[in-house]
Amino acid sequence: MADAATKEVDAPEEAGVANVRAKPATDAAARPTKKLAWRPWLRAAHRDVGYVAVGLTFVYALSGIAVNHITDWTDGDPSFKSYSRTVEVGRIEGDDEAIVERLRTRLGIRETPREVYRASDDQLEILFDRRSLHVDLANGTVVDEGQEPRFFLRVANWLHLNRGKKAWTYVADAYAAALLLLATSGLFMIAGKKGLFGRGAVLVLLGIAIPVVYVHFAGP
Amino acid sequence: MSRRAFVRSAMAGTTILALGGASYVLASTDEEKKARATKRPDGRPRLPPDQYLLKRIRPMGGTVGDPSPGNFRLKVYGEVEQPFTIDFAELLRMPQVEQTCDVHCVTKWTVLDSRWTGVRVADLAARARPKRSARHVIFEAHAGYTANVPIAEALAPNVLVAHKYEGAPLARAHGAPVRALVPDLYFWKSAKWLTGIRFVAVDQPGYWEVRGYHNHGDPWKEERYG
Repeated sequence: MADAATKEVDAPEEAGVANVRAKPATDAAARPTKKLAWRPWLRAAHRDVGYVAVGLTFVYALSGIAVNHITDWTDGDPSFKSYSRTVEVGRIEGDDEAIVERLRTRLGIRETPREVYRASDDQLEILFDRRSLHVDLANGTVVDEGQEPRFFLRVANWLHLNRGKKAWTYVADAYAAALLLLATSGLFMIAGKKGLFGRGAVLVLLGIAIPVVYVHFAGP
Repeated sequence: MSRRAFVRSAMAGTTILALGGASYVLASTDEEKKARATKRPDGRPRLPPDQYLLKRIRPMGGTVGDPSPGNFRLKVYGEVEQPFTIDFAELLRMPQVEQTCDVHCVTKWTVLDSRWTGVRVADLAARARPKRSARHVIFEAHAGYTANVPIAEALAPNVLVAHKYEGAPLARAHGAPVRALVPDLYFWKSAKWLTGIRFVAVDQPGYWEVRGYHNHGDPWKEERYG
């Protein structure tokens, strides 16, 4: 237990003041033991690294949850919402251009197609940027399908899976190092009555045991 | 609330959630029980272990490729005598196969009786004439995605280069205009937005295979992870 002379304080600035105030006593034997006040610095480092890591933690955590559970919530694609509907349009005659114009009017599409492809006598493919019309000319049906990007998850997932490569690899590596620092510094931030050997040890062992037990029983 | 009471409440809540989730995951419908009890012609159950049923395939993401049939080119090359490239129209002129089969995703869903139209990889291989040294097939797709399959399994009659699903042209989310279909391996082997079929002498683990997934991916052996 720290006595008054070696008591640690909460902030590096205060630690500095404490050191100044710990003037040498006239009796050398009574001089307080000089102890490095490292814990306040550790807490400060943990706090500041934690601040910087907040944004990336949200990106990785939300993207991770989405990738794990998106199949439970939606159609299984974390990045895009897909839709598809079949529209009965009846028999359509004329050349490809006339068919396209008629379908654009019928379906209320203002966009100009970027491709019109005659796959066969009965099948016409009309492609827009995020939308495709698959026209069955024999049956007079149109499958109207496409994808809409999800607002946040598409970008988060793109970053999480490091699809961009290059510079993001360095950012991801630095973030991983920051997480290691946060985990390690977190062990020693608050001394507690028994240090790391009390409740802290139980919780650390529990945290280590979770992956170990899982791998033991269900691992490769 | 005291700290002790908070910890107790948190533990109780976690336990209830875990039990609820487990019972949800373990719940089996009559359809699933029937699929487990039914055997395929090869003697294996229709529903591989630890899979559940869906009605339609899920897109499952991936870097979206170009859905344009006009831009589509499929390159068949590598350890072959006659490498070639075909476009969409030429693919449609090849012998077409309509096939009903079950597909199994490594994320544990299975779709029974999915209907596909396409060209057999074996027919494309017959045109390319693989050399004796060819041992594996690499399905190549948009953005560098690859999936490796042993040649004997890639040339099985139910392995297709597919352009229709459930009677309609392949949707964008499912790899339009053309994807691979390898129904007897986990579905990540069925590369979407297919661009090439490469025959190789030495196996080359693909996109997911080098990221911890199994090199083979047999659903009945639960070859999910490497």
